[in-house]
Amino acid sequence: MSAGPEKAAAPKPAPEVPIRAEGLTKKFGGLTAVSDVDLELRAGEIAAIIGPNGAGKTTFFNMLTGLYRPTSGRIRRGQRDITRARPDQITALGVARTFQNIRLFPTMTARQNVMIGRHSRMRAGIFGSIFRPPWVRNEEREVWERAAEELRFVGLKPELLDRPSTALSYGDQRRVEIARALASDPEILLLDEPTAGMDPRESGELADFVLRIREERKLSILLIEHDMKVVMGISDRVTVLDHGELIAEGDPAAVREDPKVIEAYLGRGATA
Amino acid sequence: MPVAFAIHDLSADGSLVRIGNNLKDGISNGAIWALVALGYTMVYGIVELINFAHGEVFMIGSFIAFAAFGWLGLDLTTAIPLLILGLALTLLISAIASGALNGMIEKVGYRPLRDAPKLAPLITAVGFSFILQNVGVLWLGGSQVSVPDLIGSQNLLFEVGGIDITNGDALSILTTIPLVLGLTLFIDRARMGKAMRATAQDPDAARLMGIDVDKTISATFLIGGVMAGAAGLIYALYQTTIWFHQGFEAGLIAFTAAVMGGIGNLRGAVVGGLIIGCIQQISDNRIGPEWTPVIVFAFLVLVMLVRPRGLLGEETRQAG
Amino acid sequence: MSSVLERARRIDQRFLVAAAILFAVLLPFFFDSGSPFMDDAVLALAYVVMALGLNVIVGFAGLLDLGYVAFFAIGAFTMGWLGSTFYSESNGGDGIHILVTGAASNLPGIHINFLLVLVAAVVFTTIAGVIIGLPTLRLRGDYIAIVTLAFGEIIGQVAANGDQIKIGPIWDATLGKLPLIPDLGSSATLTRGKLGISPVDKIDLPFMDPFTSLNSRPWYFVALGLVLLVLFVNVRLRDSRLGRAWLALREDEVAAISMGIPTVKTKLMAYGTGAALGGMSGAFLGSFLNTVNASQFEFLFSIFILAMVILGGLGSVWGVVIGAILLSYVNSWLIPDVLNGLPGQLGLDFDLTQVSFAIFGFILVIVMILRPEGLIPERSRKQEMHGIGAGDTAGAGTDVELGEAG
Repeated sequence: MSAGPEKAAAPKPAPEVPIRAEGLTKKFGGLTAVSDVDLELRAGEIAAIIGPNGAGKTTFFNMLTGLYRPTSGRIRRGQRDITRARPDQITALGVARTFQNIRLFPTMTARQNVMIGRHSRMRAGIFGSIFRPPWVRNEEREVWERAAEELRFVGLKPELLDRPSTALSYGDQRRVEIARALASDPEILLLDEPTAGMDPRESGELADFVLRIREERKLSILLIEHDMKVVMGISDRVTVLDHGELIAEGDPAAVREDPKVIEAYLGRGATA
Repeated sequence: MPVAFAIHDLSADGSLVRIGNNLKDGISNGAIWALVALGYTMVYGIVELINFAHGEVFMIGSFIAFAAFGWLGLDLTTAIPLLILGLALTLLISAIASGALNGMIEKVGYRPLRDAPKLAPLITAVGFSFILQNVGVLWLGGSQVSVPDLIGSQNLLFEVGGIDITNGDALSILTTIPLVLGLTLFIDRARMGKAMRATAQDPDAARLMGIDVDKTISATFLIGGVMAGAAGLIYALYQTTIWFHQGFEAGLIAFTAAVMGGIGNLRGAVVGGLIIGCIQQISDNRIGPEWTPVIVFAFLVLVMLVRPRGLLGEETRQAG
Repeated sequence: MSSVLERARRIDQRFLVAAAILFAVLLPFFFDSGSPFMDDAVLALAYVVMALGLNVIVGFAGLLDLGYVAFFAIGAFTMGWLGSTFYSESNGGDGIHILVTGAASNLPGIHINFLLVLVAAVVFTTIAGVIIGLPTLRLRGDYIAIVTLAFGEIIGQVAANGDQIKIGPIWDATLGKLPLIPDLGSSATLTRGKLGISPVDKIDLPFMDPFTSLNSRPWYFVALGLVLLVLFVNVRLRDSRLGRAWLALREDEVAAISMGIPTVKTKLMAYGTGAALGGMSGAFLGSFLNTVNASQFEFLFSIFILAMVILGGLGSVWGVVIGAILLSYVNSWLIPDVLNGLPGQLGLDFDLTQVSFAIFGFILVIVMILRPEGLIPERSRKQEMHGIGAGDTAGAGTDVELGEAG
């Protein structure tokens, strides 16, 4: 177990740690999915969480985004404690995510999906929606255009903008999910296995794209990833979970050599 | 609530007889609700459908039992050994007929809609409920019909500590226990029971495992119907009146019981049925029968507030 | 049937809508204003309002509500409380009269102008909608159905036994003491139980004579006005930030929450809106049916309205309108007036009234099996959104109002 960051001599100024988990634990009945994990994401970095299946990575994400309430521990967003915040509040604070098993809204078009991502930055309420004053019209139009921009940014062909999301190829659906997350102007992007189901060439492209997102959007990225090539290629830091516990943390090369990590993977016959 | 009334009774006359009798009646009635609730919960567990017609299957079960008394010539003069034989036969008839009816409804009304939007079968279920109610009206008319009191429902069998156990109580409880145990055993052990659990968890995976999903769903409806048919017979003997509207009322209560216990959960349905039975008796007896539905439903809302997945439901891990 | 619908779709939708409205406006002039047909038409329009209200909850937001009757009841009681002689002891027996003319202005009891009652009904039902919605928020799927059902039953039963609930003394000792708020009198009860509150004041609009039960034409136009208002609300909400959020919650709640949609607020808005529309219709029906009676507020009514929504096409505004008109006429005209005469005309000695319930059931089963998606299914929302921003961004959103079928 690594020492908590707060034990370091001088506490870092808060803006440098956009999001930080302290002793995060989640239990389901008798099963401990995540156990006492400390993790921080620094400004502008790409960090990866790896670990065998069932290690608690997605559960960890679900706690960061407010879907699950931690059994114990804290989550801080900058200086704010967001441990008990609702998912929509967390989104409003600039945290966005994608899902391991793509979760687009099936009957909506690509563009509408991305417009949903913009929801937290819009203002129209029930009366605005019914009476539709000029500012609401402008807002709708801006979001309509913004969604197209995001989809262009992630590289979706313009003719696919208004196709139902289910009609898109798997790779395109992944892109739409990223665009949907980016539409909320996040400062922190959580990507849950963004290359799942992709061939090596597509994975490589996606890795490059993740780097580009960081460059152009100036945000910090935390990703769960199985593809070691991607992890080693783009992450500044790697955290390894096994059975819900943090077993190693550090720069990619060091983590790769860590005997505990090798055992966690090889011990189960899984390939890293 | 029972505790509050128990304390009230103790302070009033120092005896628990009244609350005891309330609870005893509640359990006898609740056993019937439990049997009906099992059908709701099994069907919901496997196809996520609120089978609105289920209460009517129960009602038809009562009607068939009533008719079977006539066919078999059972009346108040029948000798006891013959009566027992006759009732066992009636149980078989009404259970099988109700099971078949429920299975048929599934085949005609729900199976064609398996890939339809989720609420479509709900409306066919309502349609079948209306049709069956009308069948009931055509069969025995629009008002209550009295059933020969074959078992002497209200006759005292024995008394424990001031609580009167009647023949009706004994019948209700002694028929329900083996049925519920048998069902639990079947679901746990039998091949078909295992197939049901697998299908309830993930129909696609079940299909890949070589399970005949259609057949499994049919069997679920059949068994649910059998339970409702048995409950129909018990109801007829216990209440000694039946009518077309009983299914609607029982359906509402049993569905409530199934949800209260945690829908999809067999033990939950039984627990829910018994609890509602007890609440009804206490409310009927202490507050006034006209307020009983309000109390039952208010209790349900309370349970849902505290335990959103019902009394025996558990927090599950969701995908994502 | 489907080819007709396909063709209908190709014709400009706006033209269809305009034609439908024109037809609805002209219809009463072809019928005798006291004819049963007109009464049925008024009823059908009131049901359209109800169904469109329920459509917001079940169709848009995907929250299965089996207790919609609660809002009918509260709306109707608002009308009964504020527009009848029921609280005859109020204001020391002189009654309260606000903007009412005609006979009602001389009667004891509370008599408030229909338009104000409508506002009150909207306020009451919105509050009720939020209260009923609150306990369902943590629930998933069909658990919501049973809790709404429970509330529907509770309100129905309270209506039936409300004559036992004396509110007068408590009211007079608390609220009645406040300025401007009248006392109710010591014998005032919450409802009139199974007897029902009757008669109820007729609608009384400015510059018009009070309505009568003999002439249904004015009722028809008020109901049509409500329908158009509610249609407007439905269409506007569907194509808005809120409508999108409802759709997202309906399709994948976890994803919707994670994308920043506040579930509690968004769902409560659906309940509140749906409830308010049901309350409007309830207040109207209270006056039109001239009675506010506990037997009106049964579970079956919730199912009846839900059947209209699902049969028409869940979430599809125009489908729901058609579903509501259809089932309303099946119930009030086809079965009692047409089918029941049929055996006699065929020389058969069979009374169809005995099986009217079953006929209704058959119709539900057959329509659902033939058209599981509803008569006019909700279309993929692609085209709706074209109106906003696509092509002519200048007119964003202005030209899609009533121009798109669900």
